[in-house]
Amino acid sequence: MLYFIGLGLGDEKDITLRGLEAVKRCSHVYLESYTSLLGVDKAALERLYERPVQVAEREFVEERAEEMLDQAAPADAHVAFLVVGDPYGATTHTDLWLRAVERGIPVEVIHNASIMNAVAACGLQLYRFGEAVSLCFWTDTWRPDSYWAKIARNRAAGLHTLCLLDIKVREPSVESLARGRRVYEPPRFMSVAQAATQLLDIVAGRGGSGGVTDTAGVGPDTRCVGLARVGQTDQVVVYGQLADLANADVGPPLHSLVVPAADLHFHEQAVVDHYALRAAPTHAAAEGSAPATPTEKGD
Amino acid sequence: MVNFTVDQMREIMDKKNNIRNMSVIAHVDHGKSTLTDSLVAAAGIIAMANAGDARLTDTRQDEQDRCITIKSTGISLYFNFDPDLALPKDADGREFLINLIDSPGHVDFSSEVTAALRVTDGALVVVDSVEGVCVQTETVLRQALTERIIPVMTINKLDRSFLELQLEPEEMYQNFQRIIENANVIMATYQDEKVGDVQVYPEKGTIAFSAGLHGWAFTLTRFARMYAKKFKVDVEKMLGRLWGDNFFDRANKKWVKKEKDGLSRAFCEFVIKPIKKIIELAMSDKVDDLVKLLSTLDVTLTTDEKELRQKKLMKRVLQKWLPADQALLEMMITHLPSPAKAQKYRVDTLYEGPLDDVCATSIRNCDPSGPLMLYISKMVPAADRGRFIAFGRVFSGTVRTGTKVRIMGSNYEPGTKKDLNIKAVQRAMLMMGRRTEAVDSVPCGNTVGIVGLDAVILKTASISDSEDAFPLKDMKYSVSAVVRVAVEPKNPGDLPKLVEGLKRLSKSDPLVQCSTEESGEHIIAGAGELHLEICLKDLQEDFMNGAEIRVSNPVVSFRESVGGVDNPEDTAVCLSKSANKHNRIYLYAEPLPSGLTEAIEDGKITARDEPKQRTRTLRDEYGMDEDAAKKIWAFTDSGSACLMMDRSKAVQYLLEIKDSMVSAFQWATREGVLCDENMRGLSFNITDVTLHADAIHRGAGQIMPTARRCMYGAQIKASPRLLEPVYMVEIQCPEASVGSIYGVMSRKRGHVFEEVQRPGTPMYNVKAYLPVQESFGFTADLRSATSGQAFPQCVFDHWETMPGNPLLPEDKMVYDLVVSIRTRKGLKPNVPGIDNFYDKL
Repeated sequence: MLYFIGLGLGDEKDITLRGLEAVKRCSHVYLESYTSLLGVDKAALERLYERPVQVAEREFVEERAEEMLDQAAPADAHVAFLVVGDPYGATTHTDLWLRAVERGIPVEVIHNASIMNAVAACGLQLYRFGEAVSLCFWTDTWRPDSYWAKIARNRAAGLHTLCLLDIKVREPSVESLARGRRVYEPPRFMSVAQAATQLLDIVAGRGGSGGVTDTAGVGPDTRCVGLARVGQTDQVVVYGQLADLANADVGPPLHSLVVPAADLHFHEQAVVDHYALRAAPTHAAAEGSAPATPTEKGD
Repeated sequence: MVNFTVDQMREIMDKKNNIRNMSVIAHVDHGKSTLTDSLVAAAGIIAMANAGDARLTDTRQDEQDRCITIKSTGISLYFNFDPDLALPKDADGREFLINLIDSPGHVDFSSEVTAALRVTDGALVVVDSVEGVCVQTETVLRQALTERIIPVMTINKLDRSFLELQLEPEEMYQNFQRIIENANVIMATYQDEKVGDVQVYPEKGTIAFSAGLHGWAFTLTRFARMYAKKFKVDVEKMLGRLWGDNFFDRANKKWVKKEKDGLSRAFCEFVIKPIKKIIELAMSDKVDDLVKLLSTLDVTLTTDEKELRQKKLMKRVLQKWLPADQALLEMMITHLPSPAKAQKYRVDTLYEGPLDDVCATSIRNCDPSGPLMLYISKMVPAADRGRFIAFGRVFSGTVRTGTKVRIMGSNYEPGTKKDLNIKAVQRAMLMMGRRTEAVDSVPCGNTVGIVGLDAVILKTASISDSEDAFPLKDMKYSVSAVVRVAVEPKNPGDLPKLVEGLKRLSKSDPLVQCSTEESGEHIIAGAGELHLEICLKDLQEDFMNGAEIRVSNPVVSFRESVGGVDNPEDTAVCLSKSANKHNRIYLYAEPLPSGLTEAIEDGKITARDEPKQRTRTLRDEYGMDEDAAKKIWAFTDSGSACLMMDRSKAVQYLLEIKDSMVSAFQWATREGVLCDENMRGLSFNITDVTLHADAIHRGAGQIMPTARRCMYGAQIKASPRLLEPVYMVEIQCPEASVGSIYGVMSRKRGHVFEEVQRPGTPMYNVKAYLPVQESFGFTADLRSATSGQAFPQCVFDHWETMPGNPLLPEDKMVYDLVVSIRTRKGLKPNVPGIDNFYDKL
């Protein structure tokens, strides 16, 4: 038996009761560590689960997952694959599910909260979200902006767009790939400010395709929502113009960004206004109470 | 005795019409360095007495010991042009600066010649009067002409014709005539219409006759001037008479065009005979007769000189009468182009950017106030160990101490920061053989040494101070680094020294390649056994402070390719899935059309060509499918010809993965699937790609390894082949030894393709192809088979496809070879199966 167990967004205690019971039955527990980031470290999980947790990096899941499937194959075996958020939030795991099913291994999925639904914390209605996109870190020569078409489509249809921001944990650097041996880059997480800058670059024609045909009315003064550490106790939400978000510091990862539809429902407007960015907030000011209201900062 | 100062020299560097940049090129042992000495002696750096023995440009002890030149050496000389001679039209005063580069003749060091040619505009081609035009003469001439270098020639070692062979004057004439014809055939073949006629003629003064060892030389101009006075005709007319079928009828005092009994050719009568006479008198110690004869030639001997006997006397007399430096200098100054002249036509072959931009214009006009354009052609070890002086040529602008410059490496791409460094010039230097002299600035048209850039220059570089400048074209070497050895320190503690030493070695030699294998082995690759031997010696003695190293037996570099299969787009497409299984790449491999591989390697077809024009050329001249020719995505960086084409239709987001695909292509072609050798002569054609909808899931980490696997699979599916390097061997030997050569050749998988008798001699010239793999110990084998009478010269010629598919055990030779290469490199003995690369749908 292979369990896909969602851990939710907060700390070790966000696991569901059913999920916890399943983990406690398992001989092997793997924690997928590269599509999201949990607010606490592995030791906290191990204390709660009373068993060792193995960290599964991208290489393990993509290239050596057979080991895990082998362990889960015997009739009386129980193996847990823990995913921050919800197991199907990140697309790579459907492949794992497929492989397990093809081998005849029973699979049980235990859901949990994901950024895909928790984003509603900012006040925008989940019903009005269109296709989600990911923003990746740009390099000197690689500046993909093809996702912009989706944001534009969503805007045209009066929908919000949730932008998931790149996270690189133990990614081999491109130079090292070209040399054939792996050297890992230090972990990086895209911030709201970096994402806002990228969007502004794209509408100004500085993206990889050299100029988008439809800016969907987005410019430096377009108001967007930045989110940080959604579901954790120090969650931050800010609502402000892209140009201001490009300079905002909302603290440690993970961050997300929402490009809202052009006009908001009055109730949506009321909630986001509550998070309105009056000046660049500091993380220090935001720390402590959740959800925090940004305060003035004399920078 | 130094008869000029640095200041005098610096002053003249601003007169771009009074500069000659030239190299001395020749076959090994035809006497370049010795001849160079005569010139240097005249500039007054070494005393006259030592000319011919000092070999000033052979700066290294091993060069002196072996009597061969290994490294090309630059030296700047200052001359006062003789007031009796006619100045070139555009000259500015009688003072001339000659930047001279002496370069090695042995084929293993041809890359040094290439580096020398780049910074010069003219070349003095030295040919042995007895041996004639040899394989390396041809190689260097070809190199010179493709760089648009104007040649003049000297037929050297005349002393051998006079003393050793005792040839009759007419025999000498016929012999010279043949050498000139041979040389001119080569020149006509590689002639470039923009440069005009580059053939050389004695009656035009572009050929000199010299005896470098004895320090004398002449051109026909020298004699024409002398006789013009005597016969009261003008010099031009006299000059014409001194060569070719012109005979003097003494009895009737008339010139005739037809050969008749009793008449002798003007060249023999008026040029050779007087010299012969002097030599005879000197050798038989008839000093009084000699003094009498010399007085008619306006040469007087001092009392001391009259005491000299035989060879010493002969040498001194001829030096006084026909000083080598004067003859050669006159020829060089009159017939070689100044930078101002040469850069007008050289700019097209030098500059990579548009030929009408500021930099190109400034190069064309040799403008010292334009943007700085400087090409570093080699790195010269400096006096303080471990540092290097960057040696090169200023083509435009002026390089000044302290200026911040942009250093563009060979992988620089205009408009990016790739392989670009910005640094200050610490010091500009004049290179004077064994010495260097610091100067404030060096204007265009001159060679220069620069201190302070060695940290950022690997081997060669373009330097500019303009942000808009394109780099200057990289040099093409005529030889390849096909022989390699593995090295390790005897004492494991010396490993850091070895690693550092290899870095320095790689800098100090234009061709040598140092690399580290997967197994941790350190590899040095060079052109041949001798080249490697010198590299190893340098490494140990100069770059590792004498730490001992262990060297493996030499091995050869190979190339990997494909034989191709019918309809590869249906039968040989490989599919690979990315690690996250969300991306799929489909591509196949096929051989490049015939001739294209060579054209790419010769730089005739490049990534930088104008795409439309290139498409047309590829379609019309190489018969490439137009669709393929239009869709070239990448050329290899390594210089080994491979292409990647995008032949897919309407794939979304394809351009976003182009970078990753190109990196994968570079990686795969650098280390092929068979045995990690470079790929050559094939193209990868992408037929289809399916990508994940989200950019994050199709980043470099997903695409690069997948594309590489896919290319490996495609290589396996397209009937892989192994290529081995082949030498062209030229052997000179007496007739009796020819049979033995055939025997040695057939034992070594070689074959003779040409066998001709050298006219007028009992010697035979044999040319053969020999696999480099079989060449180790070949020289020794040949010597023993021919009792030491055959001397081979091996030069890399081409890559030969080895018969058979290395994946099939029944093709035993290549199969075993691949297994042995893989084992040596620490890879699994067998090539991984197709299952490792080909994913099922």
